Amino acid sequence: MVSTFIQHELKLFWRSKNSGKNLAIRIIMGIMILYLMACFLLLGFILDKILEKAFPTDNLIKAFSGILLYYFLFDLLSRFQLQELPTLKVQPYLHLPIKKNTIIRYLSFASLQSFFNLTPYILFCPFIFKVILHQNGGAIAWAFIFAITGFTVFNNYLSLYIKRRSNLNGWVSVGFAIFLVLLIMCDYVWHIISFKTLSFLYFGHLLTQPVWVFLPLVMGFAIYYVNFLYLKQNLYLEELGSQKKSAYKSSTEIPFLSAFGKVGDLMANEIKLILRNKRSKSALTMCTIMLFYGLIFYTNKIYGDGWKVFCGMFMTGIFIISYGQFLYGWQAAHFDGILVSKVNFRDFLKGKYLLFTGISTVAFVLTTPYAFFGWHVVFVHFMMYLWNIGISITIVLFFANRNYKRIDLSKGASFNWEGVGATQMLLGFPLIITPFIIYWPFAWLGHADIGLLIIGGCGVLFILMRPYWIKKLEADFYTKKYKIAEGFRNK
Amino acid sequence: MIEIKDLKKVYAGVAVVNVPHLEIRKGESVGLIGNNGAGKTTIFRMMLDLIRPESGEVLSKGENVAHSENWKNYTAAYLDEGFLIDYLTPEEYFYFVGGLHNQTRAHVDDFLSGYTEFFNGEILKKGKYIRDLSKGNQCKVGVVACLLQSPEMLMLDEPFANIDPSTQIRLKGLLKDLTKNQGMTTLVSSHDLSHVTEVCDRILLMEKGKIIKDITTNASTLKELEEYFTVGMTAE
Repeated sequence: MVSTFIQHELKLFWRSKNSGKNLAIRIIMGIMILYLMACFLLLGFILDKILEKAFPTDNLIKAFSGILLYYFLFDLLSRFQLQELPTLKVQPYLHLPIKKNTIIRYLSFASLQSFFNLTPYILFCPFIFKVILHQNGGAIAWAFIFAITGFTVFNNYLSLYIKRRSNLNGWVSVGFAIFLVLLIMCDYVWHIISFKTLSFLYFGHLLTQPVWVFLPLVMGFAIYYVNFLYLKQNLYLEELGSQKKSAYKSSTEIPFLSAFGKVGDLMANEIKLILRNKRSKSALTMCTIMLFYGLIFYTNKIYGDGWKVFCGMFMTGIFIISYGQFLYGWQAAHFDGILVSKVNFRDFLKGKYLLFTGISTVAFVLTTPYAFFGWHVVFVHFMMYLWNIGISITIVLFFANRNYKRIDLSKGASFNWEGVGATQMLLGFPLIITPFIIYWPFAWLGHADIGLLIIGGCGVLFILMRPYWIKKLEADFYTKKYKIAEGFRNK
Repeated sequence: MIEIKDLKKVYAGVAVVNVPHLEIRKGESVGLIGNNGAGKTTIFRMMLDLIRPESGEVLSKGENVAHSENWKNYTAAYLDEGFLIDYLTPEEYFYFVGGLHNQTRAHVDDFLSGYTEFFNGEILKKGKYIRDLSKGNQCKVGVVACLLQSPEMLMLDEPFANIDPSTQIRLKGLLKDLTKNQGMTTLVSSHDLSHVTEVCDRILLMEKGKIIKDITTNASTLKELEEYFTVGMTAE
């Protein structure tokens, strides 16, 4: 039975429409994943050097033992944010004569295929083989590997268990997040406990008494069993799924938008789309997080003025990039309805311009407190803001006419490749690189501000030319609309 | 009202729709029937300019639907849930559709109050998004959104498939009333032969992309159709 499940799983992977029929996309994705893994591997190989630099007074193995628990704590935190529940896949098996235990075991094993379960090995095995194997011998090295396995499995099932619990009661996840944050604060801020000492306490003992390896293994198995029992009691689709119990959904209006007439109505619909669906909501969340981007670069003097352009671009324009790259795929589910209805496509485009301009404006206003780092920062931001609402929006809409991929709004955004195609890959280049092509020659000649004024000027020019661009985009859309609509109908 | 000329659509070398000529006159109520894969939905989609035909054209009031958008002013259609904006509440959706035809909210509310019975208390003020409604209730939202536009031409693809018996009866009554008393042209497809023969004056029977029968409904139509489908079964 398990082998049948595995076969189905493989078929699901290869036949899934979103894993990309296109070979080029598969290759690019493969390279990106390999690159990410290579980065981790490199980090793993130079871990001993890093530890030497970071803790010059400590013994290398002591330093290593000290950081492991931190890793698993952050691992748990990020799993909690990013790991998806592998649940809905069981639906077609539930009514067949297959034992519940088999299905649950399958579910549990399916959840192990996650990038999170690979990283600890990539990160720590090089160190274990380079240093521990050398100094403490094979048995201890294996003890470390098994201990890491135990903690990884523990984290894996703990995060899934808590996520499942929080499906039934949303407060569980809030409580757990607060608990983790408090735990970290206890160490960093209040110095009540030290994970370094705690981590060393355990892994230090492991060095001398390898029997301790059973502690994480037992913990891992225990939480697996808890998870197993929980699933067995709650193997009902509505409890497994990611949709929460629905509260009363009220109709809302955004009054000031009605001033814009039909365009305003379209924009109001799109705002509702963003706020009421999981994936689009995460694009908006990312936009909010990005607003703090400047703190990384402006607080440190080693980042020059070029970074201001970069930050300005991202902070005022991230929404245009992250949401805009999938246009009109967000509306794929009801695209037929839009085409048949009386919606004028010109109004539709105007709605998009209005939406992006609105959100970028809000983002720009929110970044004005960066004036703390000098008014010049605000000047750069303003120029990039003009660039974004002038040029970036137009570029994004141009590529939207070339995007035939549907987006399932109910899925989360992290590690979600759905809707990603060549369009999205190509889109990034003109969007991010062009302002620098204008900026750098002037910066190099020592007239950076002139470069910025030109960037802003281009933005204004494009804003003034909007009616022209809308006409062009509309004409362009009509040549591609059947292809777009057909692509969106393909689930 | 609608005229189809040499309309052809080919998928993977097979003609899924191949209609040399068809005319639907104003005020007619037409039923479209045929087994799965006969090309019913495809012909609907071409009439609504959602897919590009290989050849031929669809004229609505003499204008090619692919070239002019005037037909959108007097045509309303509900083919599937893809026509609904599923993250809106039904009320929001009705206001949106009404707004497209320059109707005020008060007008929409007034219109909806006439459908309380049809909705059976399951649509309005339930605090649900359209995506959380059952398929049958989504269908109700789609049909009423069509009627809200007071169209001259109404197209429904299998409206009876997911709705409960009471609603089926109400919908049939509604459709009959619309054609008889308001002169609306209707085109309805269905797998249920008794529904279409009851509602429609004219029946088009499709098989493998072709319209092979075009009959005016009379007392023996249902029997005739049932015979056709039974024979079709034994022949295969």
